[in-house]
Amino acid sequence: MSPFRNQIEIAWCPGCGNFNLLTDLSEALSELGLKPSQVVLVSGIGQAAKAPHYIQANVFNGLHGRSIPVAFGIQAVNPELTVIAESGDGCMYGEGGNHLIHAIRRNPNITVIVHDNQVYGLTKGQASPTSETDFVSKTQPLGTVSESFHPIALAISQDVSFVARGFTGDKEGLKSIFKQAIQWKGFSLVDVLQPCVTFNRINTFGWYRDRVYPLPEEYDPEDQVSAFKKSLEWGDKIPLGVIYRHVKSVFSDRIFEKLGRKDFLNPTSNYQTVFEDEKPGFE
Amino acid sequence: MPDLTITIGGEAGQGVQTIGEVLSRILIRNGFYVFSIQDYHSRIRGGHNSVQVRFSDQPIQAIGTDMDLLVCLNPETQEIHQPALKKDGIMIGTISSTPSPSLPSSMISIHFNEMAKELGNRIFANIIAVGALIEILGIDEKIAELYLEENFQKKGKDIIRLNKEALALGQNEIRRHQISRKFLDKRNGSQNPGNLFIVGGNEALGLGAILAGCTFYSAYPMTPSTGVMNFISSRSKKYGIIVEQAEDEIAAINMAIGASYAGAKAMTATSGGGFCLMAEGLGLAAMTETPIVILDGMRPGPSTGLPTRTSQGDLEFVLSASHDEFPRFVFAPRDPQDAIDTMIRAFNLSDYFQVPVIILSDQYLADSNWTFSQIKVNEQPKNTQTVIGDQNYQRYALTESGISPRALPGMSDALVIADSDEHDEIGHLTEDLELRVQMHQKRMKKIEKMREKTRPPFYKAGKTATIVGWGSTYGVLYEAREKLAKSGVDVGLLHFNDIYPLSKDILTFIKSVPQPVVVEGNYQGQLARLLERETQTPFDCRINRYDGRPFFVNELVNQIREVLS
Ligand SMILES: Cc1ncc(C[n+]2csc(CCOP(=O)(O)OP(=O)(O)O)c2C)c(N)n1
Ligand code: SF4
Ligand SMILES: [Mg+2]
Repeated sequence: MSPFRNQIEIAWCPGCGNFNLLTDLSEALSELGLKPSQVVLVSGIGQAAKAPHYIQANVFNGLHGRSIPVAFGIQAVNPELTVIAESGDGCMYGEGGNHLIHAIRRNPNITVIVHDNQVYGLTKGQASPTSETDFVSKTQPLGTVSESFHPIALAISQDVSFVARGFTGDKEGLKSIFKQAIQWKGFSLVDVLQPCVTFNRINTFGWYRDRVYPLPEEYDPEDQVSAFKKSLEWGDKIPLGVIYRHVKSVFSDRIFEKLGRKDFLNPTSNYQTVFEDEKPGFE
Repeated sequence: MPDLTITIGGEAGQGVQTIGEVLSRILIRNGFYVFSIQDYHSRIRGGHNSVQVRFSDQPIQAIGTDMDLLVCLNPETQEIHQPALKKDGIMIGTISSTPSPSLPSSMISIHFNEMAKELGNRIFANIIAVGALIEILGIDEKIAELYLEENFQKKGKDIIRLNKEALALGQNEIRRHQISRKFLDKRNGSQNPGNLFIVGGNEALGLGAILAGCTFYSAYPMTPSTGVMNFISSRSKKYGIIVEQAEDEIAAINMAIGASYAGAKAMTATSGGGFCLMAEGLGLAAMTETPIVILDGMRPGPSTGLPTRTSQGDLEFVLSASHDEFPRFVFAPRDPQDAIDTMIRAFNLSDYFQVPVIILSDQYLADSNWTFSQIKVNEQPKNTQTVIGDQNYQRYALTESGISPRALPGMSDALVIADSDEHDEIGHLTEDLELRVQMHQKRMKKIEKMREKTRPPFYKAGKTATIVGWGSTYGVLYEAREKLAKSGVDVGLLHFNDIYPLSKDILTFIKSVPQPVVVEGNYQGQLARLLERETQTPFDCRINRYDGRPFFVNELVNQIREVLS
């Protein structure tokens, strides 16, 4: 077992896609040679958001929808840390959707992993932003009216630094994506198809398995326009792999250029010096 | 003793602020104490701006009510402000020719812009106005010239020369007129020139945060807190501070919490509306026991309210914001010096107790400038209190004091596990209800120790009654008390800066002050209600104002007389 797994009792339904995701992520972390104390997992609230508790690392399990700003704050002041924000589709795309958009703009060196089960698991089965139109639940007995959200297309439209899609039924593919995303310098978004066996009777393991296919070798993930086209592919065929990547300067490098500092854990100047410097300005 | 009030009014962009600023600097260099405030008095219409400068040779800490001098940069200024001009006041600038019965004895029509054009640039209009003012007041122009030299040093000799010419032009324009009133009997104030400091509320809050060691500031702009962000941003390179404009206030507080969890001293600032969005984040800081300082610059509400006006309406909100119960400090600085010290204490205490600290400022404090004969750092900023943990480290270890030793992620083998869910000692979420009780008690019991750290209110005893207030009203209440005392009404003053939690000792004492009159910038008397709750004694004699304007000494003196009669 990976040194990144712990003994905490897991509170997920048997057969849930989250189990594979947990295993693959912890294996990816150890295969990258990281130490648990170097890694911070930040999550929101939901079934997915419990995952960090089952991983042996630093954890900040915050509010529903708010994992990205917390992850940003941590990475901004200590860029040495490997920071991963991990939560559900409701958390990342619904409640916290605005933060996703702006994190793409800031490009901090964090990885965002979305357990995308196309449903609200923890709150017992309501439609999520990625649920398909006409998805029926207790809360939407007539089926949802809205169309579904396309996170990958959105990210590429905003020239995200790295975005990939994985599937919890594709161990090697998912692990490889996790490793690339975590190693990627910049903001990386990984949307993981994660069947919810209890509340999503439509997007099941079988449903995904019939549709997913790995991106072919010759696929060029560096062309934004063709990547955008690829990101629109959904339905009968769903591509898996790194859909788009773009090497860009990251937040902490740009901050270093402007402020000449890397970590912000301590003030640079003694307060008496600051005061003596500032005082004449008030005369 | 001279105590004079000058108002400068004009359209946004006409240089109202610049005139106020330059005049203030010249006045303190002449040894006068200055109190200035932006835009306080007018019924705002299309972009009308005003600055009020009050000065005296004695310390002053409030704005005046009646004007001695009015500078009109546009015709609206006369319409709006003339009613408050004293009978023997003087009005200069763009003056309407229509005579009105309330016309002051002296009106001097000066076209600052036209005169500036003669010097080649409209920009000199401001200094021409300053020249006119110092001539009317009769203050030392040598010092004004020195100030211009200093101020425009970087811009070069020509600019200095032109500004000096502008100053002289303004002075000469006045000399052509007969000024009926003598404003000052000597050219200088009582303080030694060079020993006075002008500090604005927002600047002081920003400076306090920097002195406290803040290295991460995330916020979403909102009046009147934005000046703090601007101050810190302007020094972010010099002192290595990240200032991040967040996408919203929810992000702002969560970013700051993340930065603080990682070990930086972090803060955010907003006004009431933004604080509403931060409420859940406030609870997150409390539950995860992550230190954070939150500044709420109050303005009238509810909702968008009056964005550029002042209020003390958020006290009850910040005392109970976010669901369920948790300890927090609430401080409300009385003036810029106190703001510097309060910021440092806020960071120290937030770090020590691992609780959120909320600082209540308001538009009045934010946008006003006070003069001090000294500015000091009365509090010593402390380093973050952390431990180096090992593999057995528990972030929420149950301790006697309720404070658990805090380790930082990535600094040792210790894993730092923080959770917004109820959690066990390690930090993992739990549904064990007995543990829940222990954890809730652990958090709540910090309050008793926190009470020991809060400062008693300022108290000056009076026989007849006691004026009670909090936060930025200190100066006004202080001057009102003095005025009443001089006229033979022996009133005291009880003024709170540390509002929550209140120390136990003072609760008994508060009960015993003679006839409290609680003066607050809100409708319900929010401090009064807090005191009633804490002391089980009525505080039902109240003076409340909620029109968006600050309290004025003269008005208040009359109101206090009325309630006491
Ligand atoms: C502010 C707030 N609103 C609502 C909730 C209730 N809530 C918790 S999780 C959740 C949705 C979970 O869905 P998702 O993020 O997709 O995670 P999943 O459980 O499917 O893994 C909701 C609505 C909450 N905890 N906080
Ligand atoms: S509710 Fe769905 S997502 Fe949650 S644990 Fe059960 S199967 Fe997994
Ligand atoms: Mg979900």
